[in-house]
Amino acid sequence: MTGLRDIQMWMQDALRFLADAESGRFLAATARLSASAGLAIYQRSYFQRIVSCMREQFPALCHALGPSLFDDFVAEYIRDMPPESHTLYDLGRRFAGYLDQTRPDKDAPEVWIDFMIDLAHYERQLFVLFDAPGQEGQRFATADTPDSALRLQACFALGAYRFPVAEYYHAVRAKSAPALPPATPSHVAMVRTAFLTHTMPLTETHYLFLSTLRDGHDADHAIATVARDVGIPPNDVRRSWHSPGGMRQRWIDAGFFIEHHG
Amino acid sequence: MRLTRPKPLGLGLGLRNVHFGHILSEWPAVDWFEAISENFMDSGGYPRHVLNRVAERYPIMLHGVSMSIGSTDPLNLPYLRQLKRLADEIKPAGISDHLCWTGVLGLNSHDLLPLPLTEESLAHVTRRVRQVQDILERPLILENPSAYVHFAHSTIAEPDFLRRLSDETGCLLLLDVNNVYVTCFNMGTDPLAYLDAFPCERVVQMHIAGHQHCGTHIVDTHDRPVRADVWELYRIARARTGDVSTLLEWDGNIPPFAECHAEVRKANQAIVADRPDPAPDSGVSNPVDFMVPQVMDSTVLANA
Repeated sequence: MTGLRDIQMWMQDALRFLADAESGRFLAATARLSASAGLAIYQRSYFQRIVSCMREQFPALCHALGPSLFDDFVAEYIRDMPPESHTLYDLGRRFAGYLDQTRPDKDAPEVWIDFMIDLAHYERQLFVLFDAPGQEGQRFATADTPDSALRLQACFALGAYRFPVAEYYHAVRAKSAPALPPATPSHVAMVRTAFLTHTMPLTETHYLFLSTLRDGHDADHAIATVARDVGIPPNDVRRSWHSPGGMRQRWIDAGFFIEHHG
Repeated sequence: MRLTRPKPLGLGLGLRNVHFGHILSEWPAVDWFEAISENFMDSGGYPRHVLNRVAERYPIMLHGVSMSIGSTDPLNLPYLRQLKRLADEIKPAGISDHLCWTGVLGLNSHDLLPLPLTEESLAHVTRRVRQVQDILERPLILENPSAYVHFAHSTIAEPDFLRRLSDETGCLLLLDVNNVYVTCFNMGTDPLAYLDAFPCERVVQMHIAGHQHCGTHIVDTHDRPVRADVWELYRIARARTGDVSTLLEWDGNIPPFAECHAEVRKANQAIVADRPDPAPDSGVSNPVDFMVPQVMDSTVLANA
């Protein structure tokens, strides 16, 4: 007698690996469908459902690769890292890392693959920020908030890339069919306010400053870090931070900070 | 657990991302909404904000696709606790899922896979439904899935399986009329005989949807209007279940809200045997367009 566990293990493998061996052992033909034909509907739907979701989660990467090649990457991804979560939102969680680990050009790295990996990281971050707990409906920091009480808000992320992936992504969004950009380091802050995620280009110095805050330090520590690592006199960094229209004001206006007490 | 049928909610629609803006601005005269549980139980962003606002004005049913009640893996307790938390916050009129399994060995195919209907399966699902109901502190509502295969080892017909499951556990039933039509066509069996055997007195909700007829078989695509034959089956089923909540599922190629709303209102015509207009004539079973938020529309690139 065949147990339920055996049947489920068999069917799951049949979906994942497109195998229909033993379908006759577990399935009976119906009046309309052979065992193989019925199984094939599940096999096709499994793959198409996931590809469809991945295309939605990585629209710019899909544009860059073209749908056919993108689908091939997804097929390999889900074969090696099949979905585990109860939510389809997690489908793309490991995709950028997977592309990086399995890149086919390990012996002679190719620039376009670096771009694909960075773009996948950026798109995943946007996807996460879209649905993460945010600051909507709560108080943000204001110009009067003391430095010691400034904290980055929950729906905030930093990105450092080898390509201008944010520009590429938004060019795809604008349907302007962008070409593969040349390698140029880019740093960005991503922040969600009023359920809209903004990507703000940063200088490397600003990225360092915000990274220090993200790591749990206060503004004084960030000023000291930038002064030390970039070689700028601390007073110059402090002046830049506090000047009218400077970093502090712009980032408060952009909703980077909440006011933290206690 | 005592079997109590909740008050009928009327005609409802699925709460889908593409309609969020319309719903929040127009507050359309829909009787109730069904929310896919998994789309909202982890959400801290706009989808959850929309659900909270919609729940202030409309009755909500939570409909799940990942409970995997038939899986031989252990029940996913963190998932069930999250579902309970969502239910405590949203206060839905009911929580439903499918008589299916979605994966084993910790995987999730994100499909509603059929169970071999055997005594072993019935005992297994019965145990799990009881556990789930203890955790959720309410009767679970289970839906008949669409199917494309028949297990050689099955010994119990699906209506009998659901009747015995409901008898044993007190769970309630969601009769998906389109799934009855699709499954019976694919199995070569009679949908009327299916309804004859179905425990209609346990039904608290019905689903209707469009499907793709592929000649040799039918795929449950939810991507087009309801076909005339399904409306007819709905009319017959409704006469047997009495007044229960009815929901239109439209999950692929989702049209504007007004079109979905007009489609579900055809159910009123069907009830009085005034046949609704039939739908005009390759898709995915249980499509997931509704699962994917439009992230690209919610992001902007600021100036340096």
